[in-house]
Amino acid sequence: MQQPTPVIERARGQSIEINKVLKNTYLLLSATFIFSAVMATVSTLLYMPPMTYLICIGLSFALIWLALPRTANSGAGILVVFAITGLMGFGIGPLLNHYLAMSNGTQIVATALAGTGLIFFALSGYALMTKKDFSFMGGFLMVGMLVVLVAALANIFLNISGLSLAISSVVILIMSGFILYDTSRMINQPESANYIVMTVSLFLNIFNIFVNLLHLLGFASDD
Amino acid sequence: MDWMKIGSAILLTMFIFMVFPRVRQELKHGKKGSQQEWMGALALLGGVALFVWLLMQSV
Repeated sequence: MQQPTPVIERARGQSIEINKVLKNTYLLLSATFIFSAVMATVSTLLYMPPMTYLICIGLSFALIWLALPRTANSGAGILVVFAITGLMGFGIGPLLNHYLAMSNGTQIVATALAGTGLIFFALSGYALMTKKDFSFMGGFLMVGMLVVLVAALANIFLNISGLSLAISSVVILIMSGFILYDTSRMINQPESANYIVMTVSLFLNIFNIFVNLLHLLGFASDD
Repeated sequence: MDWMKIGSAILLTMFIFMVFPRVRQELKHGKKGSQQEWMGALALLGGVALFVWLLMQSV
C-alpha cells in the first residue's frame, strides 16, 4: 500500500484536531445550556431579588478571570464552566420574572429565546460551512466592546433610555460578530482553541444576545 | 444612588479593565481584513440587524 505523504498526514491531523475541538465545544455548550436553563428556572420560581443578577454576573466573571485560565487545560475546567454558566443562568431569574410579569411577557421571552437560537445557528453554521477566516474582526470587535462598556458605564449616571436601547442593539451586533470570530477560530486555529475556553466564549455571546434582545423586545412591546 | 447602580458601575469598570489589555493586543497584532472580507462580514451583521428589527415589529 502506498504511504501517505507528510502533507496529507498533516492535513488529516489538523482535520481531526478541528473535529475534536468542534465536537467537544458544541457538546459542552449543549450541556451547559441545559444546566443554565435549569438554574434559571429555579431562580425564576424562587423569585430571587434583582441584586441576584449583579452578584451572579460578578461571581461568574471572577471565575472567568481567576479560575478559568488556571483550569482550562484540566478536568477541573469543566467544573468551572458549569459553575460559570450555572451562576449566569441563576442570575437571569429576576430579569425573566420582570419580563414575564408583562402582559405579553411569555411571548417576549419565547421570541427572545427563539431569536437568539436562530442568530447563533445561522452565524455559527455559516462560519462552519464556508470555513472563512473571521480573525480580522478581532480588533474591531474588541474596540466596539470597549466603547459599549464605557457608554454603558456613562449611562448609569446619565440614565438616557435611547442610549440604553442603542447600547443593546450594538451589543447584539458585536456578540454576533464574536460568534463568527470564535467559530472561525475553532476551524482555522484549532491548535490555539481550547474547547473549555471556546465554550465559555460562545456561551457569553449567546447569553448577551439573549439579555439584550429581551431588552429591545420589552421596549418594542410598549408595555 | 441605589445599590444596583453602584454594583453595575463597579462591574462595568471591572469589565473595562478586563477588556483593555485584549483590545491593545488585538490592535497591535491582529490580522487586517481585505475590503471584500469586511463587506462579507458587514452583510452578515446587517442581516442580524434586519432580523432583530423584524422581531421587534412582531411583538
